[in-house]
Amino acid sequence: MTGSALALRVVAAVPLSPTLKAFTFEAADGGLVPPSGPGAHVRLFLRRGAWSRKNAYSLVSNPEDRSHLSVIVRRVAQSKGGSAFLHEEVSEGDVIEAGLPANLFPVVRTARRHLMVSGGIGLTPFLAYIAAFEAEGTPWELHHFCRADERGAFAALLARYPASRVHIHCDADLAGLAQALACQPLGTHFYTCGPALLMEAAKDLALATGWPPVRLHAESFGAAAEGGEAFVAVLQRSGIEVMVGPETSLLDAIEAAGVEAPCLCRGGACGQCVTSVQDGIPEHRDHFLDAEERASNRLIMTCVSRAQTPRLVLDL
Amino acid sequence: MTIQFKPEETFRDDFSYANSDAAVLRFPFPFPEDTYMYSVNIEPHVPGGPSPAYDNPFDVDEHYVAECAERARVLEQDPSRCKILPHMMAAQWDTLELIMESFATSYPELFSLTREGTRWTWENRPLGIRDSFTFGDASTLPLPPFEYITRQAQGDFTLQDQREDNLFIDGGMVTTQADWSLDFDVGMTFHQWHGPVPLAHQKGVFDRALKFLLRLQFGQPVRRLNWTMTINPRLDTSPENYPQWGPDRTTVTAENVGRKVHLRVELQSLFRLPRSNAILFGIRCYLCSIEDLARVEIWGKRLHRVLRDLHPDIADYKGLTRYRELAVAYLSAFDDGAALPTGTAPRQSILPAKG
Amino acid sequence: MLVSDIKSRPVYERLRLDRAARRHLVIADMSRPLDEVIDGLGTATAPIDHWVVAATSAVDARPAVERADSGSRVEKRAFRASAHLLDRLSHRLARETIGLRLYAVGEEGFIWNVARLAREAGMEAAECQTAHAGSLRRDVFCVHCKTITPGVTTSIAACSGCGAHLVVRDHFSRTHAAFMGVQADAEAPGEYAPAEEIFP
Repeated sequence: MTGSALALRVVAAVPLSPTLKAFTFEAADGGLVPPSGPGAHVRLFLRRGAWSRKNAYSLVSNPEDRSHLSVIVRRVAQSKGGSAFLHEEVSEGDVIEAGLPANLFPVVRTARRHLMVSGGIGLTPFLAYIAAFEAEGTPWELHHFCRADERGAFAALLARYPASRVHIHCDADLAGLAQALACQPLGTHFYTCGPALLMEAAKDLALATGWPPVRLHAESFGAAAEGGEAFVAVLQRSGIEVMVGPETSLLDAIEAAGVEAPCLCRGGACGQCVTSVQDGIPEHRDHFLDAEERASNRLIMTCVSRAQTPRLVLDL
Repeated sequence: MTIQFKPEETFRDDFSYANSDAAVLRFPFPFPEDTYMYSVNIEPHVPGGPSPAYDNPFDVDEHYVAECAERARVLEQDPSRCKILPHMMAAQWDTLELIMESFATSYPELFSLTREGTRWTWENRPLGIRDSFTFGDASTLPLPPFEYITRQAQGDFTLQDQREDNLFIDGGMVTTQADWSLDFDVGMTFHQWHGPVPLAHQKGVFDRALKFLLRLQFGQPVRRLNWTMTINPRLDTSPENYPQWGPDRTTVTAENVGRKVHLRVELQSLFRLPRSNAILFGIRCYLCSIEDLARVEIWGKRLHRVLRDLHPDIADYKGLTRYRELAVAYLSAFDDGAALPTGTAPRQSILPAKG
Repeated sequence: MLVSDIKSRPVYERLRLDRAARRHLVIADMSRPLDEVIDGLGTATAPIDHWVVAATSAVDARPAVERADSGSRVEKRAFRASAHLLDRLSHRLARETIGLRLYAVGEEGFIWNVARLAREAGMEAAECQTAHAGSLRRDVFCVHCKTITPGVTTSIAACSGCGAHLVVRDHFSRTHAAFMGVQADAEAPGEYAPAEEIFP
């Protein structure tokens, strides 16, 4: 149910390096863009003929400013996907559909100080973080890891901030980070975004330095519940079969086929859409069924759950 | 649409509050069935449904001006009814932005918001307010942003900070509450501040509700109804002032029960706030005497059955015990026992004259 | 329904040294041997500070160093009163770095005051364990006048601020470090059950 809420016009597409390109969008209708917070991302709906992708990019624009939204896109090597499309086929003046900003990597508001560890393009959410920290006067420190040939591009993005807060590392040596982790005052929170190996190493180092897990935060794209493998839902009572595509929910597919199914919250909590499963194994993603009900595989919440088997026979 | 405000009506002392017939018919009646039990009755907060009270993100009705005046009176006596922890400043601005944008869109004849960058001008015609300020700079407003805007809205509001896979009640404006104290509960986790509610914990209601709310998305608000009963149309039934309103519960008689006993419905709405990632919880209170409710045939019958069969723990928690029998006896006169359709719509557009 | 399952009421487990810590600080409201109040001493490696309230002016909070069975360093200090200890603690926390774990053991009023200081210094709940020991008496926050009446042992107690007879509820606020008290006879003045000693 995350509709294509926004139409964004590309007002600037600026290469920062051979692989990095910054895009600035304004609302296509000339109004304000929706508000967002540090750590938020926006899903861009990219289409060329029958090909389509929904890619999420961290917003790097200052959250206080609703005149535009900005993202930085890294062109993934040998990509046939969204990043190549954005780099090669999107230019100023184009209008792109997008979802409303959402935030899976929010700042901890109770923190008194913020320690950030990024790798490569993983810097992007922290550009919005830093803008917010500077505006409210909260102390921060950034350790950024990148290849030597990209140092210039990243340093330019951080040039306006005090050198004492920004540490750019072009090797895999974590000694500087270890030193920082050992002397942070109570109330500091730690955030990491970048390649999985870097995030794991940085988190392990923090844990070994006595940091409790509750202070450690990592960006995890793709954790959203929607989408998955396509499957066929057989609606026994209605006598029809419904194809559930990778981007559609089971409930949406049932409704699109004209079958009335019970539902309320559409988020796996209220229990209204619970439906009896006659055959096949559900992939449970709800918060309603208890462990026993899940294990029985005889019930499914159609609004969020999917199928582990190619076919799922439902009492609908 | 014009709303005929009743600026002089009161929610204390002489209790001159009353609903027009139109206000009775738009009352968000909470019982779709003849029995009541706690559930996660959450649905998307989108326009439409059995009452026009659901048509806007924040409903404004004929009691708007009087309710804002009552809020000001409560705050004058007890400023701690509005309390916000210091880390919630971004959520304060989120709230101001959301309510101003919603009001100006829903009721352009009453409210307007003009913006040039961060320079905003807000006009509230019913309350005679016009202020220009810099968005994000609290020193340019006469009050902190959350207090400023919630003094101009009906219903209570709380702010929930999200961290550690939990929600913390880290602020609020609470002057029209059904017997809970923000000053005592501030800073609590989701399960802690719901601690006193009976039965629902065991049924897993709060576990499921929390998991759902942690994933609430910006732009997709949700709502639910809750209810209790109040003697006299009193908005401030706070624990703080329990010694002042508690004795009302002993004043109900067979003669006055229809006028004194009010169904109190909370239209609760939940919004993910985009800048702070906090959740704004709106708790909008509607009051209607059971005498007026019984003028809607289906509501009088249904309310009789719900109250008659209510689980005693819930009746006790809601404070109904002293007068429940009187209310049930009064309502029984309206109930012929006929089967009722599921749903809450009034199914009539005109009310019979009062008893 | 005085002993209920209200979810805000703290549930305690025994203290256990967190092996991920770089420093431990164990705080008790009276002299309690370490091995009686906390588990995990046998394998502790990080240094342990042990602060207790001695309730006498004869002590001066000077450090005395011992060795735990595991060989880790234990530095013990005795304070004249809990106010003395809490004052010293706030100075210590202001200069602390991440890696510290705090443990508080004693009566509820005491341990939640320690926890509140820790929170105000920026510590997370996961970095500060609490365990109950001693009397069950409660600090009670009067919801009507905001006074906290300390050391309540009965089901109904007079508020030391406004004099109202308060029912002591199981609803507990970590922010106020106190249980909620609500006037027992608000609906019908004078009508309340006799007070019973239930928090000895």
